[in-house]
Amino acid sequence: MASTACFMIISKNDIPIYEAEVGTAPKKEEAAHQHQFILHAALDVVQDLAWTTSAMFLKAIDRFNDLVVSVYVTAAIHTRLMLLHDSRNDDGIKSFFQEVHELYIKTLLNPLYLPGSRVTSSHFDTKVRALARRYL
Amino acid sequence: MEPDVSIDTSSMIRIAVIPVGEIHLHLFRKYAGMLARHHNIELSTITSFYTEHQKSPFTNQPWDSGSLRFKFIVGGSPPSPWEDFQSNRKIHAVIGICHCPSAPDLDTVVDQFAVACKGYSSSVVQRCFAFSPGDSQLADGKDRGNKLALFPPADQRTQEIHLQTMMQDIAASLLMEFEKWVLQAESGGTILKTPLDSQASLSSEEVIKAKKRRLGRAQKTIGDYCLLAGSPVDANNHYSTALELARLTGDYFWFAGAMEGGVCALLMDKAVHKDPVIEEEVKYRYNSVIVHYRKSFIQDNAQRVSPLSFELEATLKLARFLCRRDLAKEVVDLLTAAADGAKALIDASDRLILYIEIARLYGTLGYHRKAAFFSRQVAQLYLQQENNLAAISAMQVLALTTKAYRVQSRASIPKHAVFNDVGSSIADGGKMHHHLVVSLFESQWSTLQMVVLKEILLSAVRAGDPLAAWSAAARLLRSYYPLITPSGQNGLASALNNSAERLPSGTHCADPALPFVRLHSLPLHPSQMDIIKRNSAREDWWAGSAPSGPFIYTPFSKGESTNNSKQELVWVVGEPVQVLVELANPCGFDLLVNSIYLSVHSGNFDAFPISVTLPPNSSKVISLSGIPTKVGPVNIPGCLVHCFGVITEHFFKDVDNLLLGAAQGLVISDPFRCCGSGKLKTTAVPNITVVPSLPLLVSHIVGGDGAVILYEGEIRELWVSVANAGTVAVEQAHISLSGKNQDSVISIGYDALKSALPLKPGAEVTIPVTLKAWQLALVDHDAIASKSTFVNVTRPLKDASSPMLLIHYAGPAENQGELTESVSVVPPGRRLVTPLNVCVLQGLSFVKARLLSMEIPAHVGEISNKSSDNDSADRLVKIDPYRGSWGLRFLELELSNPTDVVFEVGVSVQLESDETSSEFDYPKTRIDRDYSARVLIPLEHFKLPVLDGSFLASNSLSNGDGKTSEKKKKKAELNAYIRKLISKIKVRWVSGRNSSGELHIKDATQAALQTSIMDVLLPDPLTFSFRLVKEVNSKDGGDVLAHDMTPMEVLVRNNTKDSISMNLSITCRDVAGENCIEGTNSAVLWSGALSGMKVDVPPLEEIKHSFCLYFLVPGEYTLLAAAVIDDPNEILRARAPSSSPDEPIFCRGPPYHVRVNGTL
Repeated sequence: MASTACFMIISKNDIPIYEAEVGTAPKKEEAAHQHQFILHAALDVVQDLAWTTSAMFLKAIDRFNDLVVSVYVTAAIHTRLMLLHDSRNDDGIKSFFQEVHELYIKTLLNPLYLPGSRVTSSHFDTKVRALARRYL
Repeated sequence: MEPDVSIDTSSMIRIAVIPVGEIHLHLFRKYAGMLARHHNIELSTITSFYTEHQKSPFTNQPWDSGSLRFKFIVGGSPPSPWEDFQSNRKIHAVIGICHCPSAPDLDTVVDQFAVACKGYSSSVVQRCFAFSPGDSQLADGKDRGNKLALFPPADQRTQEIHLQTMMQDIAASLLMEFEKWVLQAESGGTILKTPLDSQASLSSEEVIKAKKRRLGRAQKTIGDYCLLAGSPVDANNHYSTALELARLTGDYFWFAGAMEGGVCALLMDKAVHKDPVIEEEVKYRYNSVIVHYRKSFIQDNAQRVSPLSFELEATLKLARFLCRRDLAKEVVDLLTAAADGAKALIDASDRLILYIEIARLYGTLGYHRKAAFFSRQVAQLYLQQENNLAAISAMQVLALTTKAYRVQSRASIPKHAVFNDVGSSIADGGKMHHHLVVSLFESQWSTLQMVVLKEILLSAVRAGDPLAAWSAAARLLRSYYPLITPSGQNGLASALNNSAERLPSGTHCADPALPFVRLHSLPLHPSQMDIIKRNSAREDWWAGSAPSGPFIYTPFSKGESTNNSKQELVWVVGEPVQVLVELANPCGFDLLVNSIYLSVHSGNFDAFPISVTLPPNSSKVISLSGIPTKVGPVNIPGCLVHCFGVITEHFFKDVDNLLLGAAQGLVISDPFRCCGSGKLKTTAVPNITVVPSLPLLVSHIVGGDGAVILYEGEIRELWVSVANAGTVAVEQAHISLSGKNQDSVISIGYDALKSALPLKPGAEVTIPVTLKAWQLALVDHDAIASKSTFVNVTRPLKDASSPMLLIHYAGPAENQGELTESVSVVPPGRRLVTPLNVCVLQGLSFVKARLLSMEIPAHVGEISNKSSDNDSADRLVKIDPYRGSWGLRFLELELSNPTDVVFEVGVSVQLESDETSSEFDYPKTRIDRDYSARVLIPLEHFKLPVLDGSFLASNSLSNGDGKTSEKKKKKAELNAYIRKLISKIKVRWVSGRNSSGELHIKDATQAALQTSIMDVLLPDPLTFSFRLVKEVNSKDGGDVLAHDMTPMEVLVRNNTKDSISMNLSITCRDVAGENCIEGTNSAVLWSGALSGMKVDVPPLEEIKHSFCLYFLVPGEYTLLAAAVIDDPNEILRARAPSSSPDEPIFCRGPPYHVRVNGTL
């Protein structure tokens, strides 16, 4: 079954610092735009919701048509890992978020990485895509 | 679906407002706007128009507090199929608006209005408002009945009151019509249908069911009318009945409708929205409404109609009711649910309305990104419609989203916000904290931004709005060129050009396109035009204004002056200035900038446009010039660029921010770096002030401004011509020197300038300057030497070493024609820097100097002349015959000539011995090219006349115990002597016709002289000399004959200040050195005493001792005088070669030769 998923990391300044289409569905440029538009709009919801709960994983906080937005809000500097997906595999998504969070923390530990700037490491990208294949 | 629905909508009476006759859209809108103010008519105000024909069905009407609410449907609308279900959907009244001056015939107006009203079958009240009727129309219109209302021209207030009265009349008429309708309905004669009801033939069972339902539906509709009539209590009663009946008949759709009406009645009645209990109640009831609407969904006619739109409307109504920040979560849930319904909507326009409403609600909630998202959905729906109006709507909707996506057109940002935005944070010292930098580029969702801009461009093109299209394309190209392929960039460029073709020329657009413009530098004034702040308190007003000394930073300067990062710049009225800007075209097409010029907002600057073409991926530094026209500050925020047919303003600050972002890795790319331009420190625009006209001196060196080529030590006179090119006279001027080798300028004709003041505009003065070329440093020396072996022409060294002539000058201290208030501010002065370009070539080179001591014996025969002979000065080597020439010392200078010209070297010695300083020249020595020569300088004239004890004391002490301080002092004195001595010797050279100079030999001489200065300077204590005592009648002077008595004298001079007693003796030797006087075969006979003569010589006196010699054999003889000094004092001892203090001091004179001729 082809699934659609778009993963983004949003810095605390609401700037996307990493984006990846991790779905198995054939890629369409138009769709990718739409995915980003949905995630961008969902930030409004996240910004309010994040303060109402102590959980880091906010599942299915927003949706548009069949696409659901799940968010993982990191504790330290309010970086948000956002996933747009059409599957309902909550456990997988949660594991995915946790693993990517760990990866992201490793990136943060890099002294040459300026927090809040784009994550351009290809290693990170590869790992994220591998995790997506495993969990989503 | 209907736009703008809320719970109150059920209580609003719809009135169509339609234009009648010819009426300009603008006027129609104005009149409709006037109407809109009367949307709420209180029941208490309409009592005078209201007549109760029958018993009113609205028994609980709140006459004192209630009101009728109107909703004006401007332009009217087609009837809705759901009118029966919700009575508020009916158009209950029609108001025609007519502008009398454009519709003169009132009959036609009335007819047209009647025709128009036919379209509104549900309307019960019709009025035509005719504004601004003429007098004839007023007279004519009286008998038209109450359908036509004329509004005579009057002031605003009167017209308002008139209109209000008319509206109250309408309200009363409507109320009466509603009563009529309700009474009729109660008597049971209406059939209420919705499109939802099955059209198919009804079975008997269904007919019975429908009959039952009819009652409930009637009750619901009566409730609706009660709401419209402003009587919520009546409405509630009817709704309760309707709910009961609908539940019994399973008529869920009408059940939900009745419930919705009930909520409206509840809110109208209670009118306390904030009450949480009511809020809960509303929420509860509406959720039930939504559920029942959903229940009424019937599968069999789902393709045609569906109650979905009512469900969604209900959702939106609830969302709007709850739309508060603290209930955001519930609202979001509702709106998400509503958005989910969009797919199921059959009608595209319903979907459009749904998205619009969702976007609006999100906007109200403060969720701008959500609002933008749904706005974009709306725009996409509009764009699917493929027509002009829809495209305009799409464009406008997208324009609303730009703020959320941060791609706003600058035109939509308030002006003050642009300027105060981030500039201040950048200005403070240039150091920004990282988080501030990041915040500058917040929400860089470049993908989304590009999509939005592309859609704006597309919709603007389709809507035929060239300026919006241009603006969108410009934003797209400027911000996202790195993400656009070259062909895409070309496409955008042609889109820009196409849009510009449809714009009038000279159109301004707030959004800049290309190129990127940044401030490169503001060239300071060329050194010719430097402006110096004048310190009026000081005579030397220029002092302190410029840093003096070799250090750029001096720790002594005031701290605050180094702190202000903004430098000050002064421009002068009427003098063209230049600003360097760098343009970059990072795109893949040739960019033609039609014109670019500085944008000056202060209005005192004339900028000159220039045109530039930038090849693909290139940057260029260009110089933009202009002339300041008025005194005052100048502010240059950016450039005005005419490119792609539109004029835009490019601010330097924007690009600075962009580059800052690029440096932090937050912006996609640095347009300048990708064009290969180097990294440049951001230049802040300095504070520029324009000052009134100043004088302007222009200088040139007479005979060409090229470097003057001089050989080392050459002396040359230059003429510097200074002209006043300004419009103000120079009143003060001062010349000083700066730069290296200042001492090479021997004299400046300062008087020439002084006497020419004030220098009127256009006047010119010539200042003579005498230069003496300096010595080349040793390093260049070798370099040149090695080079010149191959290349004949020595390349002039890059001259930073030339001295510069600084002329500080200023105009009048008070500017007469200017404003009086500026008098206190002294206009600044200026500085003219004229480099005296001197290229020093290596001239005669000095190889070495040494001191030679020569012994030239004097001839007794030649000393017949008077002792105090002064005209001997022209002799080659001056030898004082009485002091002898023994121990004569020469300074030998070895000079080589590595150049390709011939030098003639002459030595001159200044004589100061006898008060009148005269110079004494020796014949010239010629040195050919590539040859060396030695020049001898006799050091004869430097002997001190007196052997002074004070002077000698130094020597005596130096080898003694040594009082060091005294010793030092003496040493310094000695050095001074040497220096004085050396300065007397001048070695001049002449080469060719007009080159002449002097050699710098001081150091070399000093080194050579250092060791034996004593011998040079100090005379012997005693000088001896011989001379012939001639008879006056002697014919042949000077010859000594053999076999003749030769009377001679020995002269002994005491050079000390003490009298010396001594034992004088004279000897004579022959060629072989044998003593001729004593001994066995003496060849000389004598008379008089020759030895053991005791003489006393008084200080500084001379004694003579006569004797006669008789030479037996002709030949060469040598006469020697010697003396043994008795009781020598310290001075003599110090001068004597002997070391032991007990040894007698023995003084010996120089040998004198005597040539004795034969008698033959």
